[in-house]
Amino acid sequence: MLQVLGTGVPSPLAPAGRFPARRRLFTMAIDPPLPHPELVAAIPRLRRYARVLTGESSRADDLVQETLARAWEKRRLWAAGTDLRAWLFTIMHNVFVNQRALARRDAQNVSIDADDDGGAAWQIPVRATQQTRVELMEVLREVGRLPTDQRAVLVLAAVEEMRYEEIAAVLSIPIGTVMSRLSRAREKLRRATQMPAAETTAGLKIVK
Amino acid sequence: MTPLPFTDADLCAYVDGQLAPSRAKEVEQALGHDAALAAQVADLRRQNAALHEAFDPWLADPIPKTLLDAAEPPKTESRWRAFVPYFAAAATLVLGISIGWYARDAILERAGTPTTFARQAALTHVLYASDANRPVEIWAVEEQRLVRWLSRRLGFAVQAPDLNSAGFALVGGRLVAGNEKPTAFFMYENADKQRLSLQVRKQPPGTTETAFRYAVEDGVGVYYWIDDVCAYALSGQIDRAQMLQLGRLVYAQIAAAEAAGTQPK
Repeated sequence: MLQVLGTGVPSPLAPAGRFPARRRLFTMAIDPPLPHPELVAAIPRLRRYARVLTGESSRADDLVQETLARAWEKRRLWAAGTDLRAWLFTIMHNVFVNQRALARRDAQNVSIDADDDGGAAWQIPVRATQQTRVELMEVLREVGRLPTDQRAVLVLAAVEEMRYEEIAAVLSIPIGTVMSRLSRAREKLRRATQMPAAETTAGLKIVK
Repeated sequence: MTPLPFTDADLCAYVDGQLAPSRAKEVEQALGHDAALAAQVADLRRQNAALHEAFDPWLADPIPKTLLDAAEPPKTESRWRAFVPYFAAAATLVLGISIGWYARDAILERAGTPTTFARQAALTHVLYASDANRPVEIWAVEEQRLVRWLSRRLGFAVQAPDLNSAGFALVGGRLVAGNEKPTAFFMYENADKQRLSLQVRKQPPGTTETAFRYAVEDGVGVYYWIDDVCAYALSGQIDRAQMLQLGRLVYAQIAAAEAAGTQPK
């Protein structure tokens, strides 16, 4: 049985409830409602997540740019005081899903360059600096081979350290789906990076 | 008490620090004696650490200028631009009210709303002409008194035209409510008991004069015209040709009286 902290949160199936629309006739008076410094501060994380989603640096930056533009357009939908990062990630997710749907349609029409499901080639150059150890490059490569849905959940949970219910809201999926995608992604990654199975490594010390 | 077996999801939530505290305590207790479980948790922790190590350096990448620009508030939409729809709505409203205000008189003259002079005259006519016993307040025998009373109430000298030449004798008159002004009401009757009424009221200043007009309102024929001072309406269930003739007769008498100076200018 699974128990997750903060079970009192509103259903992640209704993410709109988390960001209640504040439509007032003369909101212009408090324009602009988006805090600019926080927005800039969120850019590196948005870029990272965009690269994780698209697997490609230039497309990732296009995605971030589109996300920021959309955020300004819909700025009145952001409830001040709520988590700006989660809101931006939600927007990015929606933009990405729409773009992917369009790309699929185009791919069907032109019938070239067909993507396999989410498994877009991971074209992010893995820079081998002296700090970059071989196993880390392997981790990056294996994350790139995960289906996009699992990759997104894994990075949001393990790297962004978002709460599961937050992830459910960002991706508009039930929390149970978040959990199952997360365990599947971790299991796949464990096998792929050939971390020894738990059973055979009894007594192993925690490294980090 | 043995806890339920731990699922992969439990362990994920545990290493992510998102497992409910009571359940997390159970995991911790189990870790002490379950080596396989401990190894599994260690694997997950190592994996999390590796993911951080792999992805965190990306955060240090310099932000391209295009993205910094995209984070700026959009400049195209100035404060005034955002109000343009409201301005447009307000301007349209003002324009609509203005048109409505100035077109009001013209519309009221033409349309069959109860507020038009002709329609009101017809309704008043029907109301009193159908009254057999008391169609008027003051009877024709007291014509002088009637005329004096109405002149005082209307604020100018009115007189009851003499329509005997057309076969209509004065029955009497009364004061009735007009649109904004009190209206003088004279009733006539012929040998066939057909009734005819003439209504006179002062016009508000600035009203445009109109020529003879004929309208049929609820089966009542109304001849009406407006001169520079007063509005007149002759109503009756009488055929149009005869109404016109009567109207001319009334008009001629009023014009003659006016020329003689008894009518206000």
